[in-house]
Amino acid sequence: MRLEVGKIFINDIRFGESTHVENGVLYVNEKELIDLFIEDDRIKSAKIELAKPGESVRITPVKDVLEPRVKVSGSGTNFPGVVGNKVKQVGEGRTHVLSGAAVVTVGKIVGFQEGIVDMSGIGAEYTPFSKTLNICVVIEPEEGIESHAYEAAAREAGLIVTNFIGEAARNLEPDEIEVFETKGIIEQAKMYPDLPRIGYVCMLQSQGLLHDTYVYGVDAKKIIPTLMNPTEFMDGAVISGNCVASCDKIPTYLHQNDPIIEELFEKHGKELNFMGVIITNENVFLADKERCSDGVAKLARLMDLDGVLITEEGYGNPDTDLMMNCKKVEQNGIKTVLVTDEFPGRDGKSESLADAVKEADALVSCGQGNIVITMPPMDKVIGTLEDIETMIGGYDGSLKEDGSIEAEIQIIISATSAFGCNKLTARMH
Amino acid sequence: MVKEIERAGIPVVHIATVVPISLTVGANRIVPAIGIPYPLGNPNLEFKAEKKLRRELVEKALKALQTEVDGQTVFE
Repeated sequence: MRLEVGKIFINDIRFGESTHVENGVLYVNEKELIDLFIEDDRIKSAKIELAKPGESVRITPVKDVLEPRVKVSGSGTNFPGVVGNKVKQVGEGRTHVLSGAAVVTVGKIVGFQEGIVDMSGIGAEYTPFSKTLNICVVIEPEEGIESHAYEAAAREAGLIVTNFIGEAARNLEPDEIEVFETKGIIEQAKMYPDLPRIGYVCMLQSQGLLHDTYVYGVDAKKIIPTLMNPTEFMDGAVISGNCVASCDKIPTYLHQNDPIIEELFEKHGKELNFMGVIITNENVFLADKERCSDGVAKLARLMDLDGVLITEEGYGNPDTDLMMNCKKVEQNGIKTVLVTDEFPGRDGKSESLADAVKEADALVSCGQGNIVITMPPMDKVIGTLEDIETMIGGYDGSLKEDGSIEAEIQIIISATSAFGCNKLTARMH
Repeated sequence: MVKEIERAGIPVVHIATVVPISLTVGANRIVPAIGIPYPLGNPNLEFKAEKKLRRELVEKALKALQTEVDGQTVFE
């Protein structure tokens, strides 16, 4: 499959009469965007706010971050199988991206694991979304609404708004075009016979109870491991619907812009032969963990891989999925490197992961989520600070009188994401 | 907790959903539980069937507690 990704660089966002792009500026119309979803009877009211890098702005509780894209050729639409989009194969043809812009869904807390995006100050250094021009969809749910219904309403509003904005890219001339291509397994293997055949095992959060991911609209807890063409992610085949601990959350934006996939393509044909992606889940029953890690190892073997990278979303019991995937893949004679973050407590003295196997002898750490920092007050808050102390990473006393926040970096969106979108690591002393 | 109680000389049965973690941390008697959201029951069953399931789990755990083991043992 071959996908051309045409990027239109956005250097500013402003409110305007309609949603369109002019000279690198993305204009959005608040009423136009809100009218797309406000008839949803789960939503009481909504507003659109803009946040730009460097501003004294705090966005919280953030649920998801998405990138506006549109398919200009090839089958399907961005985000297939959800919010009324037909289920059609994506990953081929041409896709346009409003690069630099992001849609951020915000609103009072659904569960307890949504996070913070600061646009300046020390907090901004920990999240990739302090560097994007953010169109915040701030949602007020109907009173008394059940939390799963609220999560679905916020998720769907984000997807609808993102695709609407993405349409503005349809007839634009991209500033840059990148081409990504993966052939059939046999042909792909023959292309670079001297390079190691490398695959990527992407573990999707699927614990349920507001920890979910969707693949072409299918709840990931119901999948068994399957093969994906890397370009399918770029067209929104995988979306986040989860309130996992915010620091290691993989928002939809990171599935669309998976740094692991980008890096593997960068080295493709030079240092390695990138053969494709295996997706699997992180379920809450041992039988599922056994079945799916068996499946991952089987697919890695069928693809005749020499090595795989494995990423995990979340922590705790998914550490077992990570280790089972590692062990079983290694037992098939295929090398593994794990990419994950660590939670060894604030003093760093506890076990970093809940589980470990001897085969896990190569691991890239994306930092430790228990580190405490103090983020200065901001002039403006998009959303609400009222949930800070109940959000994961926060605690009694986290929110100071002056509006500053002392909390573990767990509270910051994607601060230690296993996709490696940040600059953190952890070292052993 | 399992290890500390055993260190004090009292045998422990660890009823755990994720058996591999229980093995990693060093429990000696392990009884697999139902699932992480509901380790000792199953809300999808009707009342009587669930009660039976729960009783069987507790009885299995009590039996495991009385069983001599030679190293880590999972009571399937």
